[in-house]
Amino acid sequence: MNDRRDCGNADVLMSYLYDEGDAAERQRFEAHLAACPACATEMAQLRGARDGLRAWTPPETVLDFRIVRDTPPVRGRFAWLAVPQMPAWAQLAAAALVVGVSVGISGLEVQYGAQGLHVRTGWQQAAAPGTVQPRVAFAAAQPSVSGSDAPWRAELTALEQRLRGELGPQAVAASSAQPGRVVAARGGRAMSDEEFLGRVRQLIEASESRQQRELALRITQAVRDFDTKRRTDLARMADGLGALEGRTGAVVSQQRDMLNYLVRVSQRQQ
Amino acid sequence: MTLTDEELVARSVAGDSDSFNQLILRWERPIYALAYRQIGREEDARDVVQDAFLRAFRALPGFKGQAKFSSWLYRITLNLCRDFMRRDRRAPFVQPPDGVDIAELVPADTGHVDSIEDVVARDDLSRHVAKAMLTLPDEQRSAILLKEYHGLTFQEIAELQGCPLSTVKTRLYQGLTVLRRELQRRGAAPAGATGRSS
Repeated sequence: MNDRRDCGNADVLMSYLYDEGDAAERQRFEAHLAACPACATEMAQLRGARDGLRAWTPPETVLDFRIVRDTPPVRGRFAWLAVPQMPAWAQLAAAALVVGVSVGISGLEVQYGAQGLHVRTGWQQAAAPGTVQPRVAFAAAQPSVSGSDAPWRAELTALEQRLRGELGPQAVAASSAQPGRVVAARGGRAMSDEEFLGRVRQLIEASESRQQRELALRITQAVRDFDTKRRTDLARMADGLGALEGRTGAVVSQQRDMLNYLVRVSQRQQ
Repeated sequence: MTLTDEELVARSVAGDSDSFNQLILRWERPIYALAYRQIGREEDARDVVQDAFLRAFRALPGFKGQAKFSSWLYRITLNLCRDFMRRDRRAPFVQPPDGVDIAELVPADTGHVDSIEDVVARDDLSRHVAKAMLTLPDEQRSAILLKEYHGLTFQEIAELQGCPLSTVKTRLYQGLTVLRRELQRRGAAPAGATGRSS
């Protein structure tokens, strides 16, 4: 039976195409398709479109998704020590504050003289202005702090006397050569600004010239190393090429011998 | 023993995340295929899949089992794809991923070894189909994808798309008709798809 109601009916066409729907409807449409060339053509075209869809495959990819629960951090005994999340500038400011407070509490004193850099803390006894207070004398000047009967006390005193004996003549000699230097080192009087600047310039110049010398030395060393490496590589390459040439020559020689042998054999047979 | 989706959902709701991971393992490929065919870009499809599972996991306590878990997941994915394409404002296109030979994208046939001509022809057709599909309206494309590649019934698609069953069939019919014409126009119609236009 050719039911004209099914002709071009999307509902029926889709049910038949995807094989969904009741059997009676399907049988009825099959009969219609047999008698209706238009619907048969349409059905063939829709099946062709479905064939095309089968060719469309997504690319292979690694998925492997997982749900992972975040575990809360365990608060240990020293959890209060943990630095909370704060921006870098805040951490930097906190660190600077701590250092500043520490310096303030310790009474840090920095001195720069001919004998180098001196760093003292406020816990040491301040030297009276105009007096010489060598660092080695500090321990001996505190006899009441610890027991004076300690065995190391006598050794330390002896060491102090020896150092005084050694440093005394040197200081005198240095003072005759560069008077300002010793005075500045002992803190007897303050350097004038010109003297201080001159001294700084001297030190800077000396440092620069030393750095230049070191740089020149290192450059020379690097150039020498590079040149040595280059010569070594060239020698290796030459050796390798020579070996290759030798091998090639040997192969050619072997082939030539083989050819000669073949020629001789063939001539004998003739 | 293989647990059903519903059993795994129940365990996940009770706090067993391993059960949800089993659901992910079971459904990540189909969801990825759906997202890829909707969006057309591998990386974006992967992002959508990840987002879909995350949303599903978070919304799991509210999932009362009115629909199948897979249908619910498909709906989440399609919504995310739609949002993505609206937000992205870019014309979707399909391209092979970096470092992948396009000929390798064709699935291996267990029965016989395809000739290189067959592989190239199928790949050519695949690219044409991808482009043709992306010319369809979102609802028609979704209906075809769910029917062709995920085997949903008309009724399931209707529930998922929130429309009458007859509308689903109309969308399928119109979508397939436009697809067939588009392939014909591109000269890539498979055998049977050519012929008189109706």
